[in-house]
Amino acid sequence: MTPKSSTAKKNRVLPGFKLTLGFTLFYLGLIVLLPLAAVFGKTFELTWPEFWHTITMPQAMASYRLTFGASFCAALVNTFFGLIVAWVLVRYNFFGKKIVDALVDLPFALPTAVAGITLAMLYSHNGWIGQLLEPLGIQVANTRLGVFVALTFIGLPFIVRTVQPILEDLDPELEEAAASLGANRWQIFWRVILPMLTPALLTGFALAFARALGEYGSVIFIAGNIPMKTVITPLLIMGELDMFDYAKATALAVVMLVASFALLLTINILQWWTNRYNTNNLA
Amino acid sequence: MSVEVINVTKKFGHFTALDSVSLKVESGELVALLGPSGSGKTTLLRTIAGLEFPDPGAARVLFYGEDVTQTPASERKAGFAFQHYALFRHMTVFENIAFGLRVRPKTTRPPEEEIRARVQKLLKLIQLEPMAGRYPSQLSGGQRQRVALARALAVEPKVLLLDEPFGALDAKVRKELRRWLRQLHDEIHVTTLFVTHDQEEALEVSDRVAILRAGRIEQIGTPEEIYDRPASPFVYDFLGNVNLFSGRVRDGSMLIGGTEFALSEKTNEAKSAAVAFVRPHDIRVTRASTGPALPALVIRSNAAGPVATLELKRLDGGDDFVVQLSREQFQELRPKPGEQVFVELKNVKVFADDYSI
Repeated sequence: MTPKSSTAKKNRVLPGFKLTLGFTLFYLGLIVLLPLAAVFGKTFELTWPEFWHTITMPQAMASYRLTFGASFCAALVNTFFGLIVAWVLVRYNFFGKKIVDALVDLPFALPTAVAGITLAMLYSHNGWIGQLLEPLGIQVANTRLGVFVALTFIGLPFIVRTVQPILEDLDPELEEAAASLGANRWQIFWRVILPMLTPALLTGFALAFARALGEYGSVIFIAGNIPMKTVITPLLIMGELDMFDYAKATALAVVMLVASFALLLTINILQWWTNRYNTNNLA
Repeated sequence: MSVEVINVTKKFGHFTALDSVSLKVESGELVALLGPSGSGKTTLLRTIAGLEFPDPGAARVLFYGEDVTQTPASERKAGFAFQHYALFRHMTVFENIAFGLRVRPKTTRPPEEEIRARVQKLLKLIQLEPMAGRYPSQLSGGQRQRVALARALAVEPKVLLLDEPFGALDAKVRKELRRWLRQLHDEIHVTTLFVTHDQEEALEVSDRVAILRAGRIEQIGTPEEIYDRPASPFVYDFLGNVNLFSGRVRDGSMLIGGTEFALSEKTNEAKSAAVAFVRPHDIRVTRASTGPALPALVIRSNAAGPVATLELKRLDGGDDFVVQLSREQFQELRPKPGEQVFVELKNVKVFADDYSI
């Protein structure tokens, strides 16, 4: 060790860097990486052609399209409406605001199966909402639309809860400054408020999207699980497990894993880019 | 040609921030709104900007004769600079300054080249040309305030409103920046109002100073006027340090402890109990009394800085008071604690209505 590095070590203000980093790596390894490695390990029981066949079979391809497509759309819709909910909760005072605020967390707390059964009942052809939609020719239960509805339900809190604190911290002087410079309300929202919220919106979107990709309980009750049509990938995996075909199940899981990771990484990079102005670098 | 506020009252709940205030600022003037916190100065500024609206009644806000009392901020063309700058942190310095031009409706928006040229000109004015591409988080406090000023100036405001523009800066930058503001104002002559609680700042920078107290304008005038002829004990006290001597007024003179001192303004009114106001630098200290003087005891002396400060106590049982001497006078006198000296009072001021400080 050179003398220079030893003084640097001595002068670190916060103690325990090595200890905490070591713990973090160990913890992440144990909780996250080890199970994931096991998933990969299990798939190696398959030969390459078997693996390829499993992950590209038509049922699998259909399920990817449904899972990723519906999750993406649900997260997108939630981003829009979640922002409105957060806006109303932060900007306005009204009777029962606390109750509305608490309601937002319900999809977090509710067991997913309960949510699924409830949604299935509501949207079935004689359910409260289903019977209203049926004359219009809209069928939700047992369709892809049902999958989308369930994923939208479970994703809402992620957007609201990530955007809300940022919106609360927004300095009202920024809006006043924009107004005194001649900006109208729409320009203030579009040019001043929205750019400040974008990183939080992206985070919320990523969380809702990731949550939707892995959702199982609330979807299977409303989706009807019609092969090639409304079967989501997690259900396909469950089906393989039910037949004790663990290697096939993990092969599908690997696809989900890699795709999810790639998407989340992309969103993180995007988020970093939109937040680039938040630097304290005076150089 | 002026920016005018007439009879503006503004209440927040039970608190009266402005109590039928009227103020007229001539075109091209630089006026300071000076007052302690809670005196209503920021509320007045925000009312002129259209960020607050006066309580319904006879209140009117006029910009060069045009009634803007109910006009929203976005249509008033009043440039406003906030104490904490309120820069858009997701925009570069350049885009911050260009904002007011870019949000104009298509019909009045200048073409891109003209926007660029105008921003460049303003960057030059605030001496931050190399910083155009930086984000606000990469600037120092003084630089941010200058960007905020340039942003407000970009829209060619009818009036420039600055809320404690130097409040968040350290003492040295503050002094530099207020001199710079004065120079800038002499260069571009935009009608300007600025809020401050620092009397030195107000007296140094502005053409006229309005002193506010509890939602009312106590006095308005040039810095010399209000410093030399304060209208009330409050103004006197707010503008600098003050010593109080109790005594009585007789035949146009002030009697303090048996010694007679001339008043700065003659009054024929006789008062059995009056309070005299004397500035610390209007007291002469000598070893031997040569005219009307009070005997006093030196308690403490401090000669650090441009002026020396003496703390004295009246020998005839009165209160403590403070004297400021030039360094030269101090060197000549060299007072020691415990020593007896004589003090002569100049510019003794007595107010008609007594007011306790």
